[in-house]
Amino acid sequence: MPRELPRRRFREETPMVAYTVRRVLAMIPLIVAIATITFILMHAVEGGPFDSDKPLPPATLENLKKRYGLDDPLPVQYFNYLKNLARFDFGISIANNRNITDIIRERMGVSIQLGIATFLFATVLGLGLGVFSSLNQNGIGDYAGVFIATVGAAMPSIVLAPIVTIVFAVKLGWFNVLSSDYGFTDWLRGDFSNWRQVVLPTIALGFLPMAFIARITRASMLEVLRQDYVRTARAKGLAEFAVVIRHAARNAMIPVLTVLGPIFAGLITGSLVIETLFAIPGLGREFVRSVLIRDYGLIMGVTVFYAVVIAFMNLVVDLLYGFADPRIRY
Amino acid sequence: MAATDQPIAQPYDFLNQQLATKQRGLWAQAWQRLLRNRLAVAAGFVLLVILAVSLAADFSRTVQRYDPTVPDFQATEQNPSRAHWLGTDTLGRDLWARLLQGTLFSLKIGLGTQVIVLLIGVTIGMAAALAGRYSDTVLMWLTDLAYAFPDLLAIILLRQVLLGRDWPIIGEGDPQIPGFNGVLLVTVIAISFVSWTTVARLVRGQMLSIKEQDYVAAARAMGASPWRIVRVHMLPNTLGAVIVSATFGIPLAIFAEATLGFIGLGVPPPNASLGSLIGSGLDAIQVHPVQLIWPTLMVATLMLCFTFLGDGLRDALDPRTRR
Repeated sequence: MPRELPRRRFREETPMVAYTVRRVLAMIPLIVAIATITFILMHAVEGGPFDSDKPLPPATLENLKKRYGLDDPLPVQYFNYLKNLARFDFGISIANNRNITDIIRERMGVSIQLGIATFLFATVLGLGLGVFSSLNQNGIGDYAGVFIATVGAAMPSIVLAPIVTIVFAVKLGWFNVLSSDYGFTDWLRGDFSNWRQVVLPTIALGFLPMAFIARITRASMLEVLRQDYVRTARAKGLAEFAVVIRHAARNAMIPVLTVLGPIFAGLITGSLVIETLFAIPGLGREFVRSVLIRDYGLIMGVTVFYAVVIAFMNLVVDLLYGFADPRIRY
Repeated sequence: MAATDQPIAQPYDFLNQQLATKQRGLWAQAWQRLLRNRLAVAAGFVLLVILAVSLAADFSRTVQRYDPTVPDFQATEQNPSRAHWLGTDTLGRDLWARLLQGTLFSLKIGLGTQVIVLLIGVTIGMAAALAGRYSDTVLMWLTDLAYAFPDLLAIILLRQVLLGRDWPIIGEGDPQIPGFNGVLLVTVIAISFVSWTTVARLVRGQMLSIKEQDYVAAARAMGASPWRIVRVHMLPNTLGAVIVSATFGIPLAIFAEATLGFIGLGVPPPNASLGSLIGSGLDAIQVHPVQLIWPTLMVATLMLCFTFLGDGLRDALDPRTRR
């Protein structure tokens, strides 16, 4: 059967692509559902964006509503909203009369920068601490690592941020995070001059996921180090470093990957607090502000945007399994 | 062979009798294991003390000492002293009283949330596992949705929707249950509507695996009604995991509330929640950092204790992870 061969090769190579396409397509109804829920919730909120202490004259109110399309019947508003969403057009922010897509694009950079710094902090230190603990099992180093990981698990951003601010900014004065002018510099162009303002928010936001990753890494390393293939690697005389890193740590990574998705979602939540607290002009602070002033469009825009980002990151994590564990088939 | 008529003495008969007297139920054993975990016992004790003191403060003036909402402009931003144990805030309100008020609020949020979460989660999880494929699909889809929806954003949106509107049955104003005033109840509902999926998935998974166990098959073979099987065999066996999950859910709810309070979506101003205390403490960080320390420490203590207690409960209730 000479025709079997090429078909089989095709089948072996495409599952990952097919899986990705399937997942991306499955994202669409999910995002529409999230957009719908957000739309319903936003319009169920009592009181509109034009509420103020002094009631506006009815004519002005009419004009304002017309301007933002709020005078259409709800179904019409809903379909317009979805239609615009498909073109990544989130509408106009009522508060400052700007295109929401522009606002998101502008604020995103600051948040992504903080997010990447935090993610690196959490994964690198967490993995390091976990591996270190597992290698010194029941030694002093292990107890120190477990202690950090346990206490860190109870240190969400809202607890840690005030502590690091009091200690390092107010008492020691090492970092200047209390001034309101957060300087955003483009790291991609090699300009890291704002690092002093990034360090404390990163620690405050990243400590909990770091502790979480360390705990899981330690547990899974302890399991892996007992496996036969590690003994084999040692027996054939590999250097300890190669045994630990290449043979043990790589396999111990798999359980860690499973928590990266939730950790990422947690970073987004945490950024609302951290950005408000450290006066960082990112997307999180923008969202908090938009809720407080009931800027419908911006709230919906940011929520849907975050949902897309989270769905996308979950997909990336799921794809990473395949690289970490070749046994996984899609 | 005459020897077969004689009852053969089993070599370990005496041991069996001794063991029988020591046999205890599942829950008694779990309780014993929990008591042996010193960290969990300490955490539980600290939590009980915090709960007792903050409850007592709510009832008695001698514990609370000052009215947490009344400002005293003669005594603003004081450091801890004999008159004001933890100092006073920018408006001269006693921080001890405010801390206890905020703590009680947070504890109510944490416990209240888990009550609703358990009610919804266990019901839906059970329905998904037992009622068949259709409800199962719907549940899994809902769970995916809740998973993809950023939690805190959903909580904020729900809270805004539920607050300050007229209700069909309750009438005007925010919903009230004695001890749970409007904002508190609304926050509890908003948080639990987002977090029930964890419990639902857990119950579904447990029920699906228990359904295949031999003892369920045995019960069915003996003619037990489906409801009896669920009530006597399946529910008690899921309970352990559910209790553990609820214990871990409490600090998450407290954290969610603290975040809301911090960004200004907590209780309305004169009252205090731990989150709003952190928020106002932050405003005074340069001049009076003491104000920020107490609520921060309290949130950390609550979260740490509930985590330790949850770890202890998990070790005690789940014999498979027992070391």
